[in-house]
Amino acid sequence: MRSPESPWMWLVQKEWRELVSSWPWWVLVFLMGPLVGVSFISAVRTYAEASGWGGTAGGVGEAFSPLVGIWAPTFSACEVAAAFLLPFVAIRVVSGDRQSGALKLEIQHPMSAFARIAAKALVLLAGWLLALAAPALAVVLWRSYGGTLYWPELATVLAGHMLNAGLTIALAVAAASLAEHPSTAAILTLAITVGTWIISFIAAVHGGFWERAVEYTPTAMVAQFQHGLVRLDVVLAAVTLIVAGLTLGGIWMRLGVAVRRRIAESLAVVVLTVAFILLCRLARPSWDTSENRMNSFSQADEQALRQIHNPLEIEAHLAPEDPRRVDLEHRVFSKLRRIMPTVEISYVSATSIGLFEQTNPHYGEIWYKLNGRSLMSRATTEEAVLATIDELAGLKPPEEMSEDVFRGHPLAVPPHGAAVVFYLVWPGLIIILGFISHGRKA
Amino acid sequence: METKILASVSGMTKSYGRITAIRDVGFTIRSGEILGVIGPNGAGKTSLLECIAGVQAADSGEVSFENLRSSRHSRSAILFYVPDGIAPWPNQPVQWAMDFMLGFFGGRRDLYPEVARDLNLDPLLRRTVGALSKGQCKRVLLAIALLAPQPVILIDEPFEGLDLRQSRELEGTLRKQVSTGRTLVLSIHQIADAARICDRFVLLSSGDLVAEGTLEELREAANSRLGHAPAQDLEEIFLALT
Repeated sequence: MRSPESPWMWLVQKEWRELVSSWPWWVLVFLMGPLVGVSFISAVRTYAEASGWGGTAGGVGEAFSPLVGIWAPTFSACEVAAAFLLPFVAIRVVSGDRQSGALKLEIQHPMSAFARIAAKALVLLAGWLLALAAPALAVVLWRSYGGTLYWPELATVLAGHMLNAGLTIALAVAAASLAEHPSTAAILTLAITVGTWIISFIAAVHGGFWERAVEYTPTAMVAQFQHGLVRLDVVLAAVTLIVAGLTLGGIWMRLGVAVRRRIAESLAVVVLTVAFILLCRLARPSWDTSENRMNSFSQADEQALRQIHNPLEIEAHLAPEDPRRVDLEHRVFSKLRRIMPTVEISYVSATSIGLFEQTNPHYGEIWYKLNGRSLMSRATTEEAVLATIDELAGLKPPEEMSEDVFRGHPLAVPPHGAAVVFYLVWPGLIIILGFISHGRKA
Repeated sequence: METKILASVSGMTKSYGRITAIRDVGFTIRSGEILGVIGPNGAGKTSLLECIAGVQAADSGEVSFENLRSSRHSRSAILFYVPDGIAPWPNQPVQWAMDFMLGFFGGRRDLYPEVARDLNLDPLLRRTVGALSKGQCKRVLLAIALLAPQPVILIDEPFEGLDLRQSRELEGTLRKQVSTGRTLVLSIHQIADAARICDRFVLLSSGDLVAEGTLEELREAANSRLGHAPAQDLEEIFLALT
């Protein structure tokens, strides 16, 4: 007999044993190798070619950053796994208890349902961390090729994927607790995932409120982290959604509580979650952890912008699907919002694609208002926008400081040995470990 | 000998949509007895036990201990319920399931050797719960029930899946448990099994409580209803009362 531990530790141990004895988790870990391998090998090859390998012009990759060139594509495999594999692992862990009848025994323990759900979530997160050994191998390989690492940006990418996994786990746990059958839970989870993609599509077409809402979808959140951007509002919203999902899971695991009460509690959780997320929008701090400061203006420009204390208003006459608007938003305005939290940016358009608005003489105009003065420009580049703002504020355009220029880390080395590691060694190792683990219990 | 009333169930009602599984059921559980909840399939035995244990929500009704109304949480300190037809933690070895029972639920370690011997668990300990036959799984569930720290154990269909010899042996094991001060509430659809082991009976039919009492009390009730030759065994009594 084992020595006594706390009931919660027993539960954590039980959840861990259930996880490693479930084939879905082993399938997830098994597939992570080839998925990461495909992305990593392709990314390293492209990076090498751009850096002068294989006869291409050397120097093209001089401004290359491993964050965008290697880690964003390599870790994108985790996004695929989180969307299509992790939900089944989480559903299996929750629904397994209901299907086997273990839940009816376990809920007789006075421990709160939320403590039970926390044990499941913790173990699932640990399982996900183990699956991340595959991208960790990619990091080791990259170092062995002589590639450079900038730990803050790599840690940011990792944090983004951990948060994304947390969201997936919370969603799947809530769905599995709500649904009687695991297949219903799987359909529900995938429907919500697809729903977030639909929101992205609507945002791209209609802009406005949807554009703001889409920032809190897992895909958009991961994209920000993959670019080395950490926004406090996004992190808080993600944590709120995770807590809400797990709370819903806890509510619906309490089989002995009347359904009407569970519905009322669930509605309260939904209302509180929406309120919290709206509050999260007020949290403005953000951090650019990328080595090349891809989410920030140059330090000289930022210093200049900090001298503007009055509210700046910008009105851009561009349709949501106009590529100029997309460029403007991602390359300029997103940086401007970080450095000038009081900036008010609005878009004006009569259509979603803007193609038929070109005859409107005002289409394409970008109006800047500050201190009662207005200026109009049609330029959408970073330099032009900053020059317009400087002119409006009566500031002298700052000189570019040499230390601001990111010189890049070109690496003209092909992905030696990566195919063997990800397509042979990893799958073989996981198969052996999986069978050893299952064999022990048989 | 009149024993102390340990718990009272009153007004227990549970519906699934338009179907009423149990309707306003009330009875008492006495200290140190084996109480049989008897009825054919679909009588509402499982629903009744699950509502009492708080494993599912009753539409109405309450369970009182020594005249004090209990909450779902306070009930869990006194009652432990083991359902029928489940195979909990199917990927784990029986040995681990026993360890978990003792560790997580704070089960009675002092009883483990005796329970393992009585239920012949040793040959099963290394096998996974999901790989057990129906009867073997029932033995594991009974062990879980008997190792529970609570003084009142509710077991759904304890004889289901057991052969004649095992059933007889189980009767002895259960009787031994009761002699140590435990109280057992068993839901049984085989009336002959119930008649052999139970001290008192709660008869259910189509969700309604038909009668409650010892065999003698039920016989009297049946005879007064029949108004002629006395019903002899529990089966006849049950037929007479339903």
